[in-house]
Amino acid sequence: MVSQAVSTAAARAVDARKTYGEGDAVVHALAGVTVSFPVGRFTAIMGPSGSGKSTLMQCVAGLDRLTSGSAFIGDTDISTLSKTDLALLRRDRLGFIFQQYNLIPSLNARENALLPLTLAGREPEQAWFDEIIATVGLGERLKNLPSQLSGGQQQRVAVARALVPRPDIVFADEPTGALDSRSGAEILTFMRRAVDDSGQTIVMVTHDPHAASYADNVLFLADGQIVDEMPEPTTDRVLDRMKRFEV
Amino acid sequence: MRTLAWRGVRNNLGRYVATLVAIITGVGFFTATTFVSDRVISSLEGDVDQQYGNVDAAVVLADSTADLSGDPGKDLKLSARQADRITSVPGVDGSAGLLTAPVAFPPRRGHPSAKAATGRLWIDDAELNPLELTSGRAPKGAGEVAVDRGLAESVDLKVGSRVKVATLAGAFDATVVGVTKFGSADALDQDGTVSVPAAAAFDWLNSGQREYQALYLRGSVDQAQLEREIKPLTPEGYTAQTGEQFLTDQRESTGAIGRYLKQALQAFALLALFVGAFVIYNTFSVIVAQRLRELAVLAAIGATPKQIKRSLRLEGLIIGLLGSALGVVAGLVLTFVLIAVLKAVGVELPGSGIKVGLAPVVQGILLGTVITFLSVNIPARRAAKTEPIEALRISAVDATSFSRRRKITAAVLVVLGAGGLVAGGSWAAIGFGALLLFVGVIVAGPFIALGGARLARPLMKPFGLEGRLAVDNVARNPGRTATTANALLIGVFLVTLVTAAGTSVKDFAVGELKKLQSADFIITSEGGSIDPQLQADFKRIDGVKAITPFRRETVTIDGKVARLSSGDIPAIQKVADLEFARGSAADLQPGTIAVTEADGGPRLGARVRVTDSTGKSQTLRVSALLAPTIDAQQIGALTAEPTFAGLVGRTAPTVAFLDVDSGAQTKTKDAIEARADQRPDITAEEGNVTGQLVSSIFDFVINAVNGLLGMSVIVALIGIINTLSLSILERRRELGLLRVVGMLDGRVQRMVRLESLVIAGLGTFAGIALGLFSAWALIFSIDRIAEADIGFSLPIGQTLLVLVLGLGLGLLAALIPARRSTRLDVLEAIQAT
Repeated sequence: MVSQAVSTAAARAVDARKTYGEGDAVVHALAGVTVSFPVGRFTAIMGPSGSGKSTLMQCVAGLDRLTSGSAFIGDTDISTLSKTDLALLRRDRLGFIFQQYNLIPSLNARENALLPLTLAGREPEQAWFDEIIATVGLGERLKNLPSQLSGGQQQRVAVARALVPRPDIVFADEPTGALDSRSGAEILTFMRRAVDDSGQTIVMVTHDPHAASYADNVLFLADGQIVDEMPEPTTDRVLDRMKRFEV
Repeated sequence: MRTLAWRGVRNNLGRYVATLVAIITGVGFFTATTFVSDRVISSLEGDVDQQYGNVDAAVVLADSTADLSGDPGKDLKLSARQADRITSVPGVDGSAGLLTAPVAFPPRRGHPSAKAATGRLWIDDAELNPLELTSGRAPKGAGEVAVDRGLAESVDLKVGSRVKVATLAGAFDATVVGVTKFGSADALDQDGTVSVPAAAAFDWLNSGQREYQALYLRGSVDQAQLEREIKPLTPEGYTAQTGEQFLTDQRESTGAIGRYLKQALQAFALLALFVGAFVIYNTFSVIVAQRLRELAVLAAIGATPKQIKRSLRLEGLIIGLLGSALGVVAGLVLTFVLIAVLKAVGVELPGSGIKVGLAPVVQGILLGTVITFLSVNIPARRAAKTEPIEALRISAVDATSFSRRRKITAAVLVVLGAGGLVAGGSWAAIGFGALLLFVGVIVAGPFIALGGARLARPLMKPFGLEGRLAVDNVARNPGRTATTANALLIGVFLVTLVTAAGTSVKDFAVGELKKLQSADFIITSEGGSIDPQLQADFKRIDGVKAITPFRRETVTIDGKVARLSSGDIPAIQKVADLEFARGSAADLQPGTIAVTEADGGPRLGARVRVTDSTGKSQTLRVSALLAPTIDAQQIGALTAEPTFAGLVGRTAPTVAFLDVDSGAQTKTKDAIEARADQRPDITAEEGNVTGQLVSSIFDFVINAVNGLLGMSVIVALIGIINTLSLSILERRRELGLLRVVGMLDGRVQRMVRLESLVIAGLGTFAGIALGLFSAWALIFSIDRIAEADIGFSLPIGQTLLVLVLGLGLGLLAALIPARRSTRLDVLEAIQAT
């Protein structure tokens, strides 16, 4: 499954530009990025603060709109979609993991994990749901509200929420940024297993070289452009590459 | 989505408390007023059912819904012959004729003024008689009467009392043989009922003619059949009704008072609900703002705008239903409280118990729910616009910006509204102008809030940092500040408008009445006389300028009860407002009389028959007419001394006009009353009672309306508490930080109080300004259109009171939020998300 999917892109951006402000104060968050995220692969996006890495992910994920250029999910040009169609696309084809977990405080763990399906009015596949819950180790916590869970546990619920609907792509924005290193490693392991075992496509923004080392490929962004790429990354190599930005 | 909405409600219940209270207050007030007025209506209608339940057919005037009070102006009557033909129709088992006419109890010892009542033919058929005897027996022979329970008390009569009854046909001696009641009320007629037996009724009430105003029948055949059979016998101008139709009409006219009461009370309840809508809207706006992040997450993981909107609306619906249901329960409790309170102050509502009808319950729940649902719509729509990208930002403070377009809209509305109010050509245009102005001010709310904050800034300077931060907070979210202040503004605006416009009209009316000059006091003796000693005593009182006694007697003139007086006319004219409309004092020769000018009254030169209480009568020529002033009513008709003596004998004066200095009225008044109290037969009355009466009626109405408007002010108070509490909740971190860097809890609380004060001040000042302007414009327009010259009176005292109350409410509202602001542990506060 993995081998045959490599050739096709799960998501693409073509000459993507995003600017803020006007005139002299104009800021180019994305200055013409063309990139594609292959199916069944775990891609990390790295770069210093302000490099545009989050903006790139948000625009490709349909959370934000490009100023010019286009972004595709599969073959769908999302720059032409209406707000409602975008919402439906995100619901049916994408999954999200945020730094701040962003669970709905009034719903318990199980309900949070099932929320995208509930929104779509779809029934969960029980076996798949159980498998994911078992993988992330939430079995006994399903009835708890987010406020009764630790940060690591909350993020595991968020991972489950992203994976349960079998989305085309999971977008993760600094998923380990608010976690201690052990909880962070657990989350990254779950994500890695989802790619290896089920061929899940994942795009992750991070500034942590160790987190990036879990990916298949790392893209480096600086000043709104892709400046480098690193297949089969290790923590040390990524760290070295990152250090070059600082000089 | 349903789960989400439910959980949203459950999780945010604390934040929804104010919304619930607002709905409960409004719906409760609405339900209570409905229950109370329904009870009054149903008891009034119940009386009708009880008393006319046995009527199977009725013959009543065709052009009215058979006015029970009996209008003497209606000349059309059924003759006894016509009535007999109808009652002899086979199947008629019993009948009752209706005949009413005004009667009066002339003044007598202990009751200085005449008491008017309605004379009513006693109905012998027990099943058709609307009245019930509470004591004594039914009147039978001529000279026997029954009076209702209310009259018995107010005129001090009981079974066996002998009394003089003035009727259209003259005064008659009568004995009270029974006391009656009408259902749960005292009397069938508003002014009291005097039941006269058939033996005397036609002579007393209908100048000897055997006629009826209406006819009620009891029969052994079907109502419709009875109606069909009497129809051909019904004379022109009359109509035959089945008992059922008759009952419906009677219920309609009798319950009318209750229905007006209901409408008026419900209008105030709706106003309270309307103000509640602002509170609800505000709460939801704040809740949406605070949950922006949560909503953005929902949007990010794929909730469509429609789903988000629906979820919030559902939350609104749940809150609305919950609040309304609780409101109905609160309304029920309030009804019992209201009835108990009224009873404690001596107002016994007719009827007993409360019938919890389905209609008021459904209405209350529906109203509360719909208003909540509508109030939620705008915030829900705004929430649906939430960009998912917001989930990734950390700001939770609602910051709305206000467009130029809004500014222009507000300005146009205010200008058009004020213009329409001041220069509108019709009442409709003026009303529309008032509405536009009001809407304009609401739209301009955020700008007023900003401007107000700017004005408040220098005032807050003495309070140091807290003062500055308080004003900053008010200005930080002008939209929310404006909505909060608007709830108060509406109440204050209406109170000010009612007070200012009402006071202006009152002052005008009282002023006009004061122009009608009159003697300052009227001294009356019942059974005694105004002897020289008494005159001298009154004269000695500091401030009394003159006393003019005159003779007065109750007589009938051409069969009508009237007063006949005689005295020193020039002396009377000096203290009292006695004017001749035609002729003069010199025209009052023996054998002549001056009567008060009246439409349809005797004309100059006419001859009138004057009969005194002993039955002695004399025909006099009208040689002059008195202008109908207040004092002319006291005098009635005027004759020269010899004529008066010839008619009623040489009596001592029993009435006197008293003139006092225009200053120091109260002290003089007290002294006059004290002197009058020393003799049981002497009564002292102020001359211009009408002016005082009108003035007190206006005061009562203004106060009653303001009291009811108070409901909406209470809702506004809840709104301020709510907004402050919510804004403190969302500023937890900020407040925590202030405390970390060394602001003492006392100062944090003071900051919250100052903020509340500024918001309340905004609402109060704007409300007063708008209210005063609208009142002024309204008076101006009334003068302009109706060509009146009512001046605008500024009720300074009341306005200051409203101002103080408004600001006081602000401080009161801050009590809970201020305490809450420092309750949280400092560390927890700064770590809060």
